[in-house]
Amino acid sequence: MQLTRREILNDLIRIFRENFEIDNPGTDDDLREEYEFDSIDAIELLVEIEKMVGFALTQEEKKQAMDIRTLDQVCDYIENLAATRD
Amino acid sequence: MERRVVITAGSVITPIGHVKDEIIQNLINGVSGVKALRKDDLLANYIHSNVFGTVDYPIEYDFKRSHRKTMGPVAYYACQVVKEILKQAALDDDFISSGRLGVSFGSTHGSPTVQRDMYRNFFSGSQDQFSSVSAVDYLKSMVHTTAVNITKMFGITGRLISSSTACTTSSQSIGLGYEMVKYGMQDAMICGGADEYDTTTVAVFDNLLACSTAFNDTPHLTPRPFEVRRDGLVVGEGGGAVLLEEYERAKKRGTNIMAEIIGFSCNNNGGNLILPDVEGTKETLRLGLKSAKIRADEVDFISAHATGTKMGDVIEAQAIHSIYDNSPYITSLKSYMGHTMGTCGVIEMVLTLYMMEKGFIAPTLNLNEIDKRCAMIRHVTELCESDIRVAAIQNFAFGGVNTCLIMKKI
Repeated sequence: MQLTRREILNDLIRIFRENFEIDNPGTDDDLREEYEFDSIDAIELLVEIEKMVGFALTQEEKKQAMDIRTLDQVCDYIENLAATRD
Repeated sequence: MERRVVITAGSVITPIGHVKDEIIQNLINGVSGVKALRKDDLLANYIHSNVFGTVDYPIEYDFKRSHRKTMGPVAYYACQVVKEILKQAALDDDFISSGRLGVSFGSTHGSPTVQRDMYRNFFSGSQDQFSSVSAVDYLKSMVHTTAVNITKMFGITGRLISSSTACTTSSQSIGLGYEMVKYGMQDAMICGGADEYDTTTVAVFDNLLACSTAFNDTPHLTPRPFEVRRDGLVVGEGGGAVLLEEYERAKKRGTNIMAEIIGFSCNNNGGNLILPDVEGTKETLRLGLKSAKIRADEVDFISAHATGTKMGDVIEAQAIHSIYDNSPYITSLKSYMGHTMGTCGVIEMVLTLYMMEKGFIAPTLNLNEIDKRCAMIRHVTELCESDIRVAAIQNFAFGGVNTCLIMKKI
């Protein structure tokens, strides 16, 4: 996977719009506080992230995502995944 | 401690309408909600019965995404009717979340639509490693999905009961909710049931040769409860809810009281899981009257379970005659919409409440020539004006489960 951060962000914004009806969330917005984005949504998002990065996440990698609160943190998470797997 | 329990709100989604006035008009005008079975890419082409009690009109849902994400079609019906009864009853928010309001609500088997999608994924042979079961599939499809989506949407924190006893699901839900309030464990209960469009249910009854097949080209002419040409039941869909409140509390609030529930019985045939049982049925009716502390001749109207099957209608007629002689008026409301499965009890209760309020009894549709074996009871064959003071709602289910709810105008 060779996605730039901008590409990751754009893809996430699309996923949030299409899958979670959240339009253009701010990159620092607390997703839980602002948009009622809860742990169930996080699990759904992980499936989309798997499709984005092109490989299945391990249980450990998934657990690490459970503390994520902002879009910026989701971008960091995806970049780290890619770096770990490269 | 035994407390009086009253019905203070009711709402239904049925094949003959959703809005109260529309439903009443359709009962008065003899309009059937049975139409052609909707096509699907699964079973519809293999089922002999091509009729269904269909909710084919648009319903304007405005549920938030945070609620919708755990809801299958069955929960949409459930939450919509509950939203409407909460609006009717105007309960204050503090009471709703006080722990003194509970929910008793069920469905036949959760959401078969969602379950089907899950298993389609399992058995598709797909090698897609990301197409795992969704985090919300279970929440959408589980057997108590209606009850807990209701509590989630409205912030209800009291007792939760989720009956899933096929055709007695909602009547049992109402009965168990009634007992919660009667014996002081809750001050109010939201009760009811829902079932979504599902061809697998039709297939089950079709396989058992219990579905109507002779009227595929004229769906409105079936089912035909108690009639000589009846040839089986028609599966339907819908949802319904009633709010039960402790009488003194309801009176103090000054809210509208539709009727008082005065009795409930529930028993089991203790034997065959499919065939109707006259002794078990009679016992239910007897226990219902005993619970209500009234005589048989005090009941003005019976909403019969009467699905239109060959044997079920005969057994029910025999049981009614044995307990009631030919005293109360009898109607099968399923003749208007087919058998809405887990929803039928609450729909039949709410439609009976409408008739009690408006002073009429709708006849059993398509009852042109009464089967001699069912003729010993007092069938309603034409629309009639009648002041129903006491009504009984009877329902029977696969598994040998029987219920009887008795309510009284106050």
